[in-house]
Amino acid sequence: MPYWYYDKKDLQNTPSFRDAISTDTENRYRKEGARFIIDTGSKMDLGYNTVATGVVYFHRFYMFHSFRTFPRYITACCCLFLAGKVEETPKKCKDIIKVAKSLLTEQKFASFGDDPKEEVMTLERILLQTIKFDLQVEHPYGYLLKYAKCLKGDKAKLQKMVQMAWTFVNDSLCTTLCLQWEPEVIAVALMFLAGKLSKFEVLDWNGRNPKHNAWWDMFVEDITMELLEDICHQVLDLYSPQPQSSGGDSPPAPPVSKQPKNDKKPPSITPPTSVSPIAVVTSKPVLTPMKNGADLKIEPPKIEPIRYTYPAYPGLAAPYPPPVYSAPPPALPPPPRLALGGPPPPALVYTEPPPAPPPRFPPVNVPPPNYFPPPLPGRGPPPPGPPPRPYYPPP
Amino acid sequence: MQGVSAPREPTQPVISTTSTILNMREKEKYIEDFDFPFCDESSKYEKVAKIGQGTFGEVFKARQRNSNKKFVAMKKVLMDNEKEGFPITALREIKILQLLKHENVVNLIEICRTKATLHNKYRSTFYLVFDFCEHDLAGLLSNVNVKFSLGEIKKVMQQLLNGLYYIHSNKILHRDMKAANVLITKNGILKLADFGLARAFSLAKSGQVNKYTNRVVTLWYRPPELLLGDRNYGPPVDMWGAGCIMAEMWTRSPIMQGPTEQQQLILISQLCGSCTPDVWPGVENLDLYNKMELPKGQKRKVKERLKPYVKDPYGCDLLDKLLQLDPAKRYDADTALNHDFFWTDPMPCDLANMLAQHTQSMFEYLAPPRRPGHLRHHHHVAGAQAKPAQPVQDSGYQDRVF
Repeated sequence: MPYWYYDKKDLQNTPSFRDAISTDTENRYRKEGARFIIDTGSKMDLGYNTVATGVVYFHRFYMFHSFRTFPRYITACCCLFLAGKVEETPKKCKDIIKVAKSLLTEQKFASFGDDPKEEVMTLERILLQTIKFDLQVEHPYGYLLKYAKCLKGDKAKLQKMVQMAWTFVNDSLCTTLCLQWEPEVIAVALMFLAGKLSKFEVLDWNGRNPKHNAWWDMFVEDITMELLEDICHQVLDLYSPQPQSSGGDSPPAPPVSKQPKNDKKPPSITPPTSVSPIAVVTSKPVLTPMKNGADLKIEPPKIEPIRYTYPAYPGLAAPYPPPVYSAPPPALPPPPRLALGGPPPPALVYTEPPPAPPPRFPPVNVPPPNYFPPPLPGRGPPPPGPPPRPYYPPP
Repeated sequence: MQGVSAPREPTQPVISTTSTILNMREKEKYIEDFDFPFCDESSKYEKVAKIGQGTFGEVFKARQRNSNKKFVAMKKVLMDNEKEGFPITALREIKILQLLKHENVVNLIEICRTKATLHNKYRSTFYLVFDFCEHDLAGLLSNVNVKFSLGEIKKVMQQLLNGLYYIHSNKILHRDMKAANVLITKNGILKLADFGLARAFSLAKSGQVNKYTNRVVTLWYRPPELLLGDRNYGPPVDMWGAGCIMAEMWTRSPIMQGPTEQQQLILISQLCGSCTPDVWPGVENLDLYNKMELPKGQKRKVKERLKPYVKDPYGCDLLDKLLQLDPAKRYDADTALNHDFFWTDPMPCDLANMLAQHTQSMFEYLAPPRRPGHLRHHHHVAGAQAKPAQPVQDSGYQDRVF
């Protein structure tokens, strides 16, 4: 079973890095690829789950291959194509390519080759093998909604906070967080961040018990403040000026003669917007909150990169310094990875909150796992184990 | 899609493919040499024989080349004529098999690939690799030397229902129940197989109905609601198949071998009675209720006609409960498992001893055609001995919820 989480050291020593692509450049490629999947998916009305699944495939793919071997935009198309099928929202390959073409400069689209569809088909097999056919991917969105339902406080403020957290989750796709932490942990951290920024202080929550210091203790055990802040910084870094890209739009050849830069983009800025993911809970999920972040890209041609400053909050001074780790990361692989120091982290414990989980999988009339009637003496088939979570999105 | 390979204007700065990204040859070499850490080459197994034809490809028996020489079944993922790449049906089957881990569900070991070479245009072929099961139920039933005692029949049905209970609890419909898809190991463990048509289901929410394709399930095992065009079906479709298979344990061949959907409905009515709103409230709302010719005035004769084969009264009663026309009245897996059939003497008993007398694998694919002798006393339909029409493999894109 491959382990899809990596520590920071592994994230530095990637195939691209070993292929003479700097970490900064690789991170930019990852960001651009992820953003491109988000844009393409939104334009095709794909839901946030499909888009996020495609992005996770993309990040995993480049833990095994270099951006020099596989240009990012065609890989991104391939990831979205596969994610569409896996999430039961299939799109025709040629339609994805058509949209991709409309979003890319001719120069970037040139990397798709003479027969883009054939390229994607070949790439799909490589992608499937690379990701070990681990098709089903979980995302922070569902956890976000589940956690939000437990928090008490002013409804409007809570809603605003969740929608901000939702946007952070969208944007977190442009980082490598999905290669570092389980979706539960990311959801906690980004809701924590949104709470700070929207001044929504969680004082009480359903299912609180005396052992809880903070609401998230109820969902994930032993999250340290250092970890939360590290995750928040990784997302916030997206909004600060990017280091000048050290590579061009395509991977540089090892002895780099500076490539001419083309349509350099200022950092894409996706401040939390007013679309409410909460609405998804109560009404039909017609909106794809994903879209909003994507639509808000600001691309002025020749201005200084815009700096979006969030209100500072204690513990996160601006400009955000690089995260400081109080202790070396734990040895790998300690599944599941949690605290950034101290004794080996205990296993994740997910406590079920009293209210119903979010509607990602609608509650249905299944017999509870252990519902075989208590068998009469000597009779009664062995009850099958508790059913794993359902894994399809509701049709 | 136009303009894909439109000639570029010479003035356009074109990415120099030779210096920046790998050129085609280099990439081919790279693909050929890349050692995918999670996807072994299929050459680690040695094919022994073809043992079946699955919904989306051939199935082979193979042996591991390393020291343990373990046998496996390899199912080829058929990719020809796939305009949309890796088939969505195969992706579904893989997702479902990765989710389902149960003693009575076939176990997916891994997915293997052939090496990508110039020969296959750098596109690997994929195989799903399963634990090998020596027999399938259709193969066993077609062999007159294989005799099931009542206790052994109970064991088969109990395991089959356990498997169904498990998959239904996990919100999966099998949608292709038939004897050939029920595998049995030489140790007598039953495994549900071929999830090529399976899908996840959800119970219809208020004001909203599911719209699944009804072009599933091999005709002879297809329940009346599907034949009448229901698109909002659920686990009872598999329970009907379980009933057909259970009867077959005694009749030794499929009990209703209709050559067409219309004929299949007639055969069902001759056994289970006419489909009327009396016995099946709501049947009149099904799409094809007024479009198909439905025999009128047929009486239900399930017990009467099965009694000559199924001497055990509990067995007859359970069959009656599984072969209910109205899916809402049909027993679910849990209720069936609690039926007295499984809790009266002779109790279910292990199959291993009986199977130990047979040293040869029995698969429907390899067996001679089964005798046509299904249920007596009903109109023989021409061509009934023919193989049942396979469920229509939808391209996947049609099988979505619209």
